[in-house]
Amino acid sequence: MTVPPPVLTATNIRKSFGDREVLAGISLEAREGEVISILGGSGSGKSTFLRCLNLLEVPDEGQIAIGDVQAPLTRNRHGRLEVSDGRAAARLRTQTAMVFQGFNLWPHLTVLQNVMEAPLRVHRRDRDEVLATARSLLERVGMAGFHAAYPKRLSGGQQQRVAIARALATNPKLVLFDEPTSALDPERVREVLALMRSLAEEGRTMIVVTHEMAFARDVSSRVVHLMNGRVESSGPPAHMFGPDASPAFRAFLSPAAL
Amino acid sequence: MMDDLTLLGFGPDGWAPLLLKGCLLTLAVSATSMAIGTVLGVLLAWARLKGPGWLRRTALVYGVVLRGVPELLVILLLYFGLPSLILSLSETFGWEAPGLPPPFLVGSLSVGLVSAAYQAEIFRGGVGAIPRGQFEAARAMGFSDLLCFHRIVLPQVARVVLPALGNVWQFNLKDSALIAVTGLSELMRTSLVAAGSTRHPFLFFGVAMALYLVLTTLSSTAFHYGGRYSNRWDRG
Amino acid sequence: MGEHLTFIGSVTAQLVRAVPVTLLILAVSGVCATVLATGLTAMSVARSPLPRLIQRTWTFLFRGTPLILQIFMIYYGFAMVPWIRHGLLWAAFRDPVFCTCLAMTCCCSAYIAEIFRGALAAVPRGEIEAGRACGMTGFLLLRRVIAPSLIRIALPSYSNEIIMMTKSTSLASTITVLDITGVAQQVIAHSYRTLDVFCAAAALYLLINATLSTLLTALERRLDVDRAPTPLAPIPPTLEPLS
Ligand SMILES: Nc1ncnc2c1ncn2[C@@H]1O[C@H](COP(=O)(O)OP(=O)(O)O)[C@@H](O)[C@H]1O
Ligand SMILES: [Mg+2]
Repeated sequence: MTVPPPVLTATNIRKSFGDREVLAGISLEAREGEVISILGGSGSGKSTFLRCLNLLEVPDEGQIAIGDVQAPLTRNRHGRLEVSDGRAAARLRTQTAMVFQGFNLWPHLTVLQNVMEAPLRVHRRDRDEVLATARSLLERVGMAGFHAAYPKRLSGGQQQRVAIARALATNPKLVLFDEPTSALDPERVREVLALMRSLAEEGRTMIVVTHEMAFARDVSSRVVHLMNGRVESSGPPAHMFGPDASPAFRAFLSPAAL
Repeated sequence: MMDDLTLLGFGPDGWAPLLLKGCLLTLAVSATSMAIGTVLGVLLAWARLKGPGWLRRTALVYGVVLRGVPELLVILLLYFGLPSLILSLSETFGWEAPGLPPPFLVGSLSVGLVSAAYQAEIFRGGVGAIPRGQFEAARAMGFSDLLCFHRIVLPQVARVVLPALGNVWQFNLKDSALIAVTGLSELMRTSLVAAGSTRHPFLFFGVAMALYLVLTTLSSTAFHYGGRYSNRWDRG
Repeated sequence: MGEHLTFIGSVTAQLVRAVPVTLLILAVSGVCATVLATGLTAMSVARSPLPRLIQRTWTFLFRGTPLILQIFMIYYGFAMVPWIRHGLLWAAFRDPVFCTCLAMTCCCSAYIAEIFRGALAAVPRGEIEAGRACGMTGFLLLRRVIAPSLIRIALPSYSNEIIMMTKSTSLASTITVLDITGVAQQVIAHSYRTLDVFCAAAALYLLINATLSTLLTALERRLDVDRAPTPLAPIPPTLEPLS
């Protein structure tokens, strides 16, 4: 069996805010079809790492490549990394999509417009084609009946499902999820997790920051434990949730197990 | 009473044509100053939000000064100050003296400069009211800055900003009356002249008030409906 | 250069002498407008329709027309009314400072009443209900529950309005009052040094406004219960008996 090509290669990502080193050198590779769960205590740098991957945050050190396209990071005259070419960064971002904890739907656009916005305006795809894709995606996330509604009218779970449809509308190579269920009521969590599980089964490449241990254990192909800005341990879920897992990860899990 | 009607009529002794012309001029001055204020206000807001340090400070000082100094003083400064500035400029460069600047331009410019200071605050607040996540969601999908501005910022800012801009417009409309001091025969000046030459101040100031009320009421209705339209997605 | 500085110095001295006039107009019309606005606010929540109608008309009339027009109406208009011209009130209406104050009181009371009305609507219903629930009514409820919240909510807009009023006092100069703007115009007519004179006048207005807004912001801070550092006062060991 051939190894699928890498979709994301992040090497030695470092990031500090002021004196505080949040990421102390993290490397991660995601191959096509992989679902990587990132776990870790709050403040361990999960969000920051995810946001570095699509350059919402510019890392202080390190390299990022989506497919075989390198992120346009160069050193300025003070020796700090910066985005050298805004257009290239935007182009790189078109290959990825992100689902946020707070949904971040655009409130002035309807559900359908939210989903169609990026493929129409950023990718400049054909309108009829985009419409057809958007409709089938909304069907897929169970929101077909709401295409004309404005986000304000929807529950959190519904908004998040629309946000997932929006993320998929450009057919990205990689979808980043930052605690997509943390802002939801317990009943709503299930509907969103079920949707994410079906995406995983479909072979989407996903990186998921989550506190849902069952999802990490059952759905992901690899689990990464972040601690103090480093990868403390990582491996397939069978290993990470088995008896040979690192003590630190077991300690992290234990309050959840209780 | 008959007397009053003649004075307000369209006949040879009637002031109606001049008063109506004054109304139009008031509207024209207000609209021009509003436009000047919007263009300059957007630039100032941009300077405050994204400009380099020195520009940010300049915009800040501009706002503090123009919002803290009486409009009348600004009008007088431009009206008396511009000619001498132009004169000294033309002397230094050896141009032919271009004469006095037209009152219409001076008036709209001074009201517009003040309007800009208020509008800048409104635009700045409007952009600030959009949650950060909105921009991030757009950037995460590869929106360019321009596209983000056009598709995400503009429609949402319009909603927050329209009622406030309506207020500024009302102030522009009323501030335009101050331009009367430059001798421009807009509504205020016309009523003043009419009041003086007919010795019926109550009648003419009363009519002028009524006309201002018509202007302000009509325009606030227009802004109300504009606001409702731009706000249609916010009604739960 | 030295001559220039002397000129600015003497102009500033002349302008400073006009500051009391500006402050007088501001103080008189500020106090009167606030009192009148309180009355108008009360009318706006009255049960019978007539006071509400009066408040609405007042607001419509004075917010919808330029203040300068109102000043002219009072100063030039009333002078033509025989019973004023030859009555006791003439002593007041012939005085341009009085006319300015009257116009500003009417006009600004309309604006301030709208501010109070908005703040009144923003006082949380629950606070009022809590007051009612423990038996408060009428004036007690107003004084102990509604007014404190209302003042806190209204203060920022009220401060704004006071700054606007400071600027409006300059309109007095159009009816011959020698306030800061009036003196500035007079000096210019004699010297043609437009820019210097106006800058000095502008600086004075900015100074007045800065002082006022500092005072009002300090007041806002004092009243802000959310931010005020509440010292953890020890509970007294013996509570006075409830009477
Ligand atoms: N923009 C920022 N400025 C300063 N500190 C930040 C910023 N973003 C995150 N941090 C800090 O970085 C640390 C890691 O944050 P984050 O990546 O959000 O953690 P997690 O998502 O794992 O909870 C936190 O201590 C947070 O306070
Ligand atoms: Mg986080």
